[in-house]
Amino acid sequence: MDKILLKLVSLFMPVLEKTGVDTEQLYHILKVKLLMDGRRPSAMFAGRRKATATSGKASTSWAVSLVTVLMGAFIGATLFIFKMPLVGQTVYFSMFMVLMSLTLITDFTTVLLDVRDQYILMPRPVNDRTLALSRIMHISIYVFRLAFLQALPGIIMMGFIDGWLAVPLFIVQIIQITFLSILLVNVVYLVLMKMVSPQKFKDIISYFQIGFSIVIFGAYYLLPRLIDVSVLSKIDLLHYTWSYFIPPVWIAALNEVLIHPGRATIITSLMAIVGVTVPLAGLWLVAKVLAPGFNRSLMVAATSDGNTSAPITPDVVRKSKFDIVGKIANLIAADPVENAGFRITWKLAARIREFKIKVYPAFAYVPIYFLYFSLNGKGSLNQRLEALQGAKGYIFLIYLSTFIISAILQHISFSEKYKPAWVYYALPITRPGKILSGMFKAVVTLYYFPYCLVISAVSIAIWGPAVINDLIFAFFVGLIYGILMALFMVKGLPFSKPVLVKQSGGRIVTLLLITVLIAAIGFGHYFLARWETLIWVLAMLAIIVYCIMLYYYKRQTWENIELEEF
Amino acid sequence: MMSDTPLIQIRNLSKSYGSKLVLKNLSLDIYPGQVIGYIGPNGAGKSTTVKILTGLIPDFNGEVLVDGISMQHDPQEIKKRIGYVPENAELYDVLTPMEYLDFVGKLYGMEEELLTARAMKLLSAFGLGNNHNDRMDTFSKGMKQKVLLISGIIHNPQIIILDEPLSGLDANAVIMIKELIMRLSKEGKTIFYCSHMMDVVEKVSDRILLINKGEIIADGTFESLKQNHADTLERVFAKLTGRNESDSETDAIINAFD
Repeated sequence: MDKILLKLVSLFMPVLEKTGVDTEQLYHILKVKLLMDGRRPSAMFAGRRKATATSGKASTSWAVSLVTVLMGAFIGATLFIFKMPLVGQTVYFSMFMVLMSLTLITDFTTVLLDVRDQYILMPRPVNDRTLALSRIMHISIYVFRLAFLQALPGIIMMGFIDGWLAVPLFIVQIIQITFLSILLVNVVYLVLMKMVSPQKFKDIISYFQIGFSIVIFGAYYLLPRLIDVSVLSKIDLLHYTWSYFIPPVWIAALNEVLIHPGRATIITSLMAIVGVTVPLAGLWLVAKVLAPGFNRSLMVAATSDGNTSAPITPDVVRKSKFDIVGKIANLIAADPVENAGFRITWKLAARIREFKIKVYPAFAYVPIYFLYFSLNGKGSLNQRLEALQGAKGYIFLIYLSTFIISAILQHISFSEKYKPAWVYYALPITRPGKILSGMFKAVVTLYYFPYCLVISAVSIAIWGPAVINDLIFAFFVGLIYGILMALFMVKGLPFSKPVLVKQSGGRIVTLLLITVLIAAIGFGHYFLARWETLIWVLAMLAIIVYCIMLYYYKRQTWENIELEEF
Repeated sequence: MMSDTPLIQIRNLSKSYGSKLVLKNLSLDIYPGQVIGYIGPNGAGKSTTVKILTGLIPDFNGEVLVDGISMQHDPQEIKKRIGYVPENAELYDVLTPMEYLDFVGKLYGMEEELLTARAMKLLSAFGLGNNHNDRMDTFSKGMKQKVLLISGIIHNPQIIILDEPLSGLDANAVIMIKELIMRLSKEGKTIFYCSHMMDVVEKVSDRILLINKGEIIADGTFESLKQNHADTLERVFAKLTGRNESDSETDAIINAFD
């Protein structure tokens, strides 16, 4: 595909030559950039990057293309809602725009912010015009490829829905919505760049990646349940004045006016005109106003090396925050080695970007799963929600949150930058179990406990204070589950191992056994929940069991830990 | 080999970041075939000079002429004459050495045939002949450094600017690079060598420039610097950049244990 695109670009070469662009250089820069894009692990596949990097050259890019096409098919399904004007296409183009903007922000930002260009391309005899054009063309090719793959299923579906005549128009619509997405992304970038420092910028982008995972996951599980297609297909968008101001509606109006002229009104015609002009105006705005400013701030970010413009944060602010963490650490993990393990896990977990990208989506998965299972019943949305309140759903919710512990523990010992962990092996630590227990306590205090607190607050609000004993019991069962997980699944010190290439087989069975055990306790709990005193007793029991287990967990020796070679 | 017209002329070069003046009216003539050892403490303005000379920083005050061409007027023509090996091993490591060298060479407008042959010869000469089709993300620091060095000389430039080129290289490779620098200088290449390793600078350079706080505070052969100041380059450096002769720093460290 890249080769075809390059050929396409080559067609324009003679024209460009006259404007002072070195077409030979332009061609080679583009070729290398596209080659590298193909080999770069995509954000969507971040977890699997090592495995694919070694096995095949093109596998990641093909997988990414396939996923993009599947996404396109998924959102394309909404096109079949066409009885009422605008609705289906509006939904389609909204999702198209969201998907495209998120992909651009999460996946392409690393390319945009590649500071290496500064050292590799700048010292070579490449003139500014060539450099700027190579950048623009690289971005355009990327966007074009993305738009094409994502729209392909939709284009085919459109052929069936409105006949082949509608296809050329649909392609125009796709181009227009792509322009709008570019405008949106540019505005997001510019706002971010104005507001935060370049260092912070990358952090924010990683939050976008987390958000992206959650949106995809949530949309996949919840949208089909929340949206009643039969209701949706009867909505008359034109009844609602607010809909006149939503850009995807304008784009959808194009189809209304030209393909279904019978049901078009003056308003739809007006919107269609807006749909043609605004994206073009937006593109002009990007090219003339937004992009130059963006490039300038990018240049500053790249050449400053981060040492010239580093704002000095007053020590006073830092100190007070530091003390709270320190006090909690000293309270929970008093032993010096354990304390060190607690603090290092606390800080690294909150600061390492790749860890956050992999783990944070899990926080949102729990409520999404919960809603998914809860809404699985029959009846209207309201009926199902009422049924939920009647049942003891909170027990299910709190047991589901063990998912968070397991997600964290599965990633806690891995890091791409695992080398600094030599310090554990070089120092005279007699009981690494202390570091592990410090790590475990940090994970629980930092993530699991606050999360359970929120869930508890929600549960008490919905189901009343009678659920407190259930919550305590379930919380400690969750902790026991965590310790079991940590004991059998986590064989390394925090962030001390390279990102795993393959999961060892025997562990899966252990994981399954632990999960079944906890599920069994959960079901038992569900049936026993009527006897309040019994639950209180069980809760006390769980606390005792947990303390004993923690005591033994702390006593682990070096034999229990898989050493990493440096 | 020395000729009378300087190859690189720097006149009243100044550069500031915000209110901070990094280079203060630097003036300098460099003649063809010279090996310049460019030394100075961290933050003295060393890398800023190099970045201006290689066209990485386009806006500065003063004049930079290379081979009679002004940096402000025709930077591309100057870049063609310069080979640059940057300090922080920046290269596209998802590419193989061959792909990378092919890319860089073509940016210099080299013909494919010549380029491939030369890249292969250079890779073999640097001991990377067997790795020419492996992706560089698996390479060690030394191997990447070698590819970086090759990419700096692949177009056979007149001027070679090396910024800490020995980092990550083993002893044998260091010896080889040192010899290579001498040989290249005999071939008439001008070499601009930045480093913190005084012993290497002492050996390879026939002219040493010491920069401190944006100004050149010493300029001459190692012999002449020695006569005026101290017996090793390390001591010359320490003396001229104002490090205290007394042991106060180490005293403070030792005292910290009390």
